[in-house]
Amino acid sequence: MSSLSASNLHKTNELAVSIRNVGLTYTTAIDKRPTLKARIKAFGLGGKQTRVVRALDNINLDVNYGQVLGVIGTNGAGKSSLMRCVAGILPPSQGRIEVYGSVSTLLALGVGFNPSMSGRDNVFLGGLAAGMSREEIDGHFDEIADFSELGDAIDAPMRTYSSGMYARLAFSVAATVRPDILIIDEALSTGDAKFKEKSLNRVKELRSDDRALILVSHAMQTLRDTCNDVAWLHKGKLIQRGEPNQVIDAYQEFLHLGKSAAIDEDV
Amino acid sequence: MFGQLWLVLNPLLLSGVYFILIVIIGGSTDSARYVHLTASLFLFYLVANSLTGGVKSITAGQRLILNTAFPRIMLPLSAVIIAIFKFLPTLIVFFVVKAIIGSPFSLEMLWAIPVLLITVFLALGLAITISCINVYFRDIANFLPYLTRTLLYLSPILYEASDLNPNLKVLEIVNPLFPILDSWSRALVHSEAPQISSLLQGLAWATGIFFIGTYFFLSREREFAVRL
Repeated sequence: MSSLSASNLHKTNELAVSIRNVGLTYTTAIDKRPTLKARIKAFGLGGKQTRVVRALDNINLDVNYGQVLGVIGTNGAGKSSLMRCVAGILPPSQGRIEVYGSVSTLLALGVGFNPSMSGRDNVFLGGLAAGMSREEIDGHFDEIADFSELGDAIDAPMRTYSSGMYARLAFSVAATVRPDILIIDEALSTGDAKFKEKSLNRVKELRSDDRALILVSHAMQTLRDTCNDVAWLHKGKLIQRGEPNQVIDAYQEFLHLGKSAAIDEDV
Repeated sequence: MFGQLWLVLNPLLLSGVYFILIVIIGGSTDSARYVHLTASLFLFYLVANSLTGGVKSITAGQRLILNTAFPRIMLPLSAVIIAIFKFLPTLIVFFVVKAIIGSPFSLEMLWAIPVLLITVFLALGLAITISCINVYFRDIANFLPYLTRTLLYLSPILYEASDLNPNLKVLEIVNPLFPILDSWSRALVHSEAPQISSLLQGLAWATGIFFIGTYFFLSREREFAVRL
C-alpha cells in the first residue's frame, strides 16, 4: 500500500486519477435492519421495500500529480461517495476509475483506534490501519507525539482523552503517511485554533510536485489558500471545475441565491 | 482482577463445570473421562470462539471498512487468530491435567497436529462464512449461542464417540466436528492413531466449507461497504 518513500517516480502533470463516466447508485432498504425476520415479512408482502439513491451521476474528472484539488458541495452532494470510489472502498455502478499510484485516505479520523488502549499503542494501530509498516511508525513516533502536543498523556488510555486530544492524535498519525495520492475528507476541522493552523500548515507542506492531494472541505478560505483547482459537486453531478476563486465564488453565490439554472436542470 | 490468568482459569472452570454434569448424569468418575473432556472441550472452544469472534467481525468493523481499502477477509481471519491465541494456553492446561492424572504420553499423540490443522482450517471457513451471512441477516449473531451449544451436545465431548447410540450414527456424518473431535481424543487421550477415514472426512468438511464460504465472501466483499 502506501509508503513513506522519499523517491516518488511520478512527474508533475502526469495523470494520477482518471474518473470516467462514473455513476454510483445505492439501493437502501427501507426496513431499518436487514434481519431474517424482516426478510421473511417482506417475502410475504412480495418483494423487498427499497429506495434507489443516485449518489453519483456521470462524473468525469482527472487529477494530475502536483495538483491540489478541492472538492466542494452541499451535504449529500456525493463528495464522500466519490472519494470512497477513488479509494477503492465503494465499487462504482457505472464507468471506470483509474488510479496511478498509492492512495491513502483520511476520510475519518481515528480509524482503527481502540479507546481502551494507550495513545502510544493507538499510534501504532492507526498507523497500521493507514498502511504504514511497523518500522515506519517506529521511525516517526517522536514526530507524531510531538506534533500531537499530548505530552505525558500519550501513555494514558485513549478513553481518558478529551475529544480534542483524540482528534489531535488522530490527525498527527494521519499526517505522517506519505502516499502518492492523499484524500482528505473534512479532517482538518479539529482541535483548537492553534492546532487548526498547525494542521493546515502540515497540509500545505504535503503539497509537492510529485503528489496529488484531494481535499474535501467546507472551509472556503482554506480551499482558496491551498488548492490550485476546485471541483463543485451538486446532487451527484459535477457542476463546475476550474480556478479556485472562480468556482468558489460561483458556489457561494449559489448558496445565497439557493437556485441556479445549471443546477435545477433535470436531465 | 486476574488479567491474563483468565486465559487458563476459564478453560479449567469450564471443564470443571462440565465434569460435574457428566458425574451427575452419567455417574462416571473415571479420570480418563476427565482427560477426554478437557481435550475435546478445549478444541471445541477453538471453533466456537472463532465463530463468536467472526460473526460480528464485518459488522463491527464498519468504521474501518467505510474508510480504508483493505482485503475484508482479514477481519474474520483475525477473529480466528485471536481464537488460536486463546486456545494455546488451554493446550498447556490440558497437558498439565493429563500429566497430573497420570495418563501416558506417547508418539501417537503427534497425530493431534494434523487434526489441529484441519480444525483451524474448518474454523477459518466457518468464521468467513458466518461473518458474510451476518452482513445480510443481522440476527444470526443472536442465534449463534444456541447454535454452538447444540453443536457442543452433538459432538463427542461430554461422551466418547464409541459410546454413541447406534441409532444416532447419522450424527457422525452430518456434524463436521464429529470426526475431528473423535480423532483428537484418540490421539491425545487414548494414544492411538486416528482412523484415516475420520481425518479425510474432517478435511473434506473443512475444505468444502472453506471454499464455499470464501467464494461467497470474495464475491460479496465489494458490496459490504454499501450494506453496512
